[in-house]
Amino acid sequence: MSAAKVKMREKKMRNQPASVQYPSSSSNVESSTQNGADAPGTGENADPLKGGLSEVHPSTERKKKTPHQSGWVRGHHKDGGGYTKEMPKYITAGAFARARAAEVSAMLKAVRKTTSSSHVFEALPKHMRRRAMSHNTKRLPHRLREVANRMREKSLQAGSKKKKEPAKSKSRKARRRHGNLLLEFNRRQRKNIWLETHIWHAKRFHMVKKWGYCLGDRPTYKCYRACYRAMSSHCLLQDLSYYCCIELQGDEDKLLAALSQLTSKEAGPTFAAALCLSGRRQGSVMVYRAGRYPSQPLGPVTFLWRPRTQGSVHRQLWIWAHPTLKQDLLPELQTVCQCCEAVIPPAAPVEVNPTLEADSEPENTPEAKPVPGTKRKRSRKDATGPPAKKILGDGTRLPSTPVSWRSSSNGIVINDLTMEIVRYRLIGPQSHSVLVDTLEAATGCDEVQKSQTCSLWWPQHCSDEAKMTLHQQQADIFNILKGIYSTAELPSGTVLGLTVDDPRLTLPRKRVKALPCVKQAQEVDEEKRRKLMLEGVPEPCCQSFIWEQSVRDNVTDNKISEQELNRMRSEVLVPGSRLSPTPLQGRVPILLVHQPGKQVGHEMSSWGAGWDLLLPKGWGMAFWIPLVYRGVRIGGLNMSLKHSQNKAAPHFPRDYPDCPAGMCFQEEQEAELLDKFKRHPPAKRTNYIKHGCVAPFRCPWQQLAEEWEIIVQEGGSQARTTAQADAVTEERTSQQAISITKPLSRFTVLRNRKALRLLSAWCRPTTSKGQRPCRVGELPPISCEAVTSFLSAHAMSLVWVHVSLLSKGKPEYHAMLCVPTPEDLKALGNRQGTGGPQEPPHRDHFKSRIKRRKKEPKKAATSSVTPDKPDGKEAELIFASDLDTNASKDPKSFSESSSDLVLGLWPDPLPSVASHCSRVTVGWVTQGDFSMSAGCGEALGFVSVAGLLNTLLNQTSEHKGKLLLRNPTSLHYRFAKINVEV
Amino acid sequence: MVRLKSRYLLCEVNVSDRSQLLLLDDRAIMVAVKAAVARTHGDYGAAMCSIRFCVKYLNAHTGIVFLRFPKRCYKLLWSALPFITSIETRGQKIPCFLNCLHVGGTIRTCQKFLIRYNTQQLHRMLPKCKSEEEKQQVRKAILSCSLTESKEAFEEDSESEGEEEEEE
Repeated sequence: MSAAKVKMREKKMRNQPASVQYPSSSSNVESSTQNGADAPGTGENADPLKGGLSEVHPSTERKKKTPHQSGWVRGHHKDGGGYTKEMPKYITAGAFARARAAEVSAMLKAVRKTTSSSHVFEALPKHMRRRAMSHNTKRLPHRLREVANRMREKSLQAGSKKKKEPAKSKSRKARRRHGNLLLEFNRRQRKNIWLETHIWHAKRFHMVKKWGYCLGDRPTYKCYRACYRAMSSHCLLQDLSYYCCIELQGDEDKLLAALSQLTSKEAGPTFAAALCLSGRRQGSVMVYRAGRYPSQPLGPVTFLWRPRTQGSVHRQLWIWAHPTLKQDLLPELQTVCQCCEAVIPPAAPVEVNPTLEADSEPENTPEAKPVPGTKRKRSRKDATGPPAKKILGDGTRLPSTPVSWRSSSNGIVINDLTMEIVRYRLIGPQSHSVLVDTLEAATGCDEVQKSQTCSLWWPQHCSDEAKMTLHQQQADIFNILKGIYSTAELPSGTVLGLTVDDPRLTLPRKRVKALPCVKQAQEVDEEKRRKLMLEGVPEPCCQSFIWEQSVRDNVTDNKISEQELNRMRSEVLVPGSRLSPTPLQGRVPILLVHQPGKQVGHEMSSWGAGWDLLLPKGWGMAFWIPLVYRGVRIGGLNMSLKHSQNKAAPHFPRDYPDCPAGMCFQEEQEAELLDKFKRHPPAKRTNYIKHGCVAPFRCPWQQLAEEWEIIVQEGGSQARTTAQADAVTEERTSQQAISITKPLSRFTVLRNRKALRLLSAWCRPTTSKGQRPCRVGELPPISCEAVTSFLSAHAMSLVWVHVSLLSKGKPEYHAMLCVPTPEDLKALGNRQGTGGPQEPPHRDHFKSRIKRRKKEPKKAATSSVTPDKPDGKEAELIFASDLDTNASKDPKSFSESSSDLVLGLWPDPLPSVASHCSRVTVGWVTQGDFSMSAGCGEALGFVSVAGLLNTLLNQTSEHKGKLLLRNPTSLHYRFAKINVEV
Repeated sequence: MVRLKSRYLLCEVNVSDRSQLLLLDDRAIMVAVKAAVARTHGDYGAAMCSIRFCVKYLNAHTGIVFLRFPKRCYKLLWSALPFITSIETRGQKIPCFLNCLHVGGTIRTCQKFLIRYNTQQLHRMLPKCKSEEEKQQVRKAILSCSLTESKEAFEEDSESEGEEEEEE
């Protein structure tokens, strides 16, 4: 019997009477006196009372015995003699009676106590039992209730002991009380930053924790198509406040000199582009580590210069970067600007920008405290407790963390403005109508208000004539926007500064769809409209007071609360009418930045253009709700991916495999996908080995680039009868070559615009209908020499390509891009209807190994090396016989990998990725979907430059740029056309 | 619920010399019963007796025995009990016979019957007492088994609780 069973039995038999008998073994003297203590007492002994007493409690005696000794169990001692002398000679009536009495009491106890100790109601007769008695003790008869309650409490306690009783939470009402709710929210914001629209999003979106933020991934309702429609015909709204803004201040030439180390002119316009430098346009640029132009990219950023103030070389620059990029970018900026001195937060504001403060705001108002200072104050308040304040900005940062750095040598100051500025993105041709509908240029203030000296910034501005004329100009331009047909008509990157009224004041009572009123507006000022469309916003109008720290803080601090606003609304004479004198606090400086749409390619040009709305922090919800009331759709992270996909633009960090953030993303994605894969039962998993897919969850770019470099070096291009036969030889050589010299150079993504333009021209079929033969003549035609010279520079490069399928098929991510054989292209020429070639199924040699390993589990502990080796050899034999997979691997690496075999996945030292299948792989797809704008499957991905050029050289002109695309879960190749779009 | 049903026989061992009663133990009784059954009913009976027969309780002072038989064949086995004339224990042969007082479906009913029976016996004894001392003792015995029961039960209750806590 196990210990638990013994215990159970003990418990059950606790109240049952034991047999009363003399023990048979005389040796056990102690137990004999215990068990039959009444024996001497019953006889002539002069101490009958004692014997009687001991007999009264036979059960207590029993407890002391082990169960084996008791009479209940059949095992018995051998009979022993020498007992008779203790036996009484005669009996008395008293002893007789006592024995009876003792027995009666023992029996009484047994009868009255239930055998199983668990429940009171088991003592009840069946007809009195009720449903759920143990739950509701009131169903028991009254006399048993008390006992039952006690039992119930005890059982609850026992349960809680095991489960760790949950902390007693307050009532819902208490929890939802404003102060407590705020405390709770602040607590939850400590780890991940919440955007200002978090609560709004959390009610409607699937939230994900990413990059240290809580972001909405996709709405809980179905709206994929609706969102696409909104992007292409109306307006889609996104909260992009998680993008980090880094502010650089300093002299223009010094800033440019420092920043030029990070960029290269070869990859497009840099920070110094004239239009951007004037502050009229927002620019975007690819940032590299200082002085490491082609090899070590960091990621794409957008930047915005503050327009020049007269006679000052001091400039202000905002660099907007993705949060994953920021951690790399900020140290890099600090090194190039030599800003290593962290400015201690409270001291910073005074000398941050003396010139700016001088011309904009002579007296620094007490409310307009510097941001770091206020934050510190706020967080201190939070720590003390009761007066909890809503966290605005970054709640995760410690108050002592420096947010600004200055350089002693060149006077450049770097400010980290993360979460200081709210950024909303409106995508779609009607986004300007939504803006015009929502926002209203700030109304001036009358003389009385001007004369009052108050801490608000607007009255002071109103008293300044120059500022008012500027405001008037900006308002005029903003009104011209009404007459524009589509957002895409404006020059891309246009910036417009503005001061607007609180949009909550003009909130419509119902959600309405903002529609353009082109007709009325167009007649009014045709001339101005045309000028705006051609030249963009004139330079002075790009100025906005949002650039100034003091004004931003003033606006943030003096925001009218929702409650106050509602109170003022309720006091209006005619319910529902507008508040007539607009409250003075309700003037917000904003910045409107035009976002270019699709810039590359020939179709759907400038699709997905829109506006970015920059607001001072704290005003997020005040602008969000009015925008939502204009009938826009709201998108999450998912939609921004689709947006960039339709724009054929790489999406950060997914499509930047050479950047640190991109590599990090790839690792995360692989882990996630592998986890998902492993959650399926093994029989339901796709066997990727059989599908000939070497790496279904990641793209081994480095290996691909290396392999293609070697293939090209070996001159495999000349004698290429069939890719298959070729692959065999190449494979052997490449394997050797890799093992001999491990190349140290890392792959890069080709971003040189000239090279891209050349590649793009080469990709294009020369005799294609519907495509202009644009500028091909200027570029050298594709030839062996040109290719060789090109490859000498970019052998280890990948190039971003846009793939559109010629027939059916929906590409998925990590689909393979392969080179068609000449037979395939011939078949394509003959019959257009046929889908494409098929990949012969591969054999999974690992399956038997996995099975074998399962059969002899845990044996490996003693002999881990020996059983593996013959296995490896055997598998190698199969390999050698197999024509398709000729990955000849030495048994050592084979046995090493056997530890982490997953059915259907290649173990870690991958075979050759390029020539694993019957068609040679040149690249993979990173984004792919059915494109609703093109009406066919479209994908974006990278291909190896060497592989691509090799392919192009061998292709005839009418089939130029045609590749095969195969999804990881399918054996079917589909024909696809690739484009390198510049 | 399905369960194995049994019959419990409440028997009294009657001996001529009461002091010999104290020599009894449950194994001896079991052997005696088995032998008797084998004698009267042969191998069939012995087999019946070997399956679920057991001595549940024996009080050597009062000579009370609980026997468990399978319900299916308890009559057969019961019929062999009168043929027991002696019980061999500790190297002695005790002449005795078994007197069946009660047949019950559960031990509990047997226990209940035994309570009633014993109290009845004690009450019957009281007027027949010969000496004052005897009378006193019997009276005391009666009181101990009737009056104190409620108090005792309560004590036992609290004690068991304490024990449970220890267990946990």
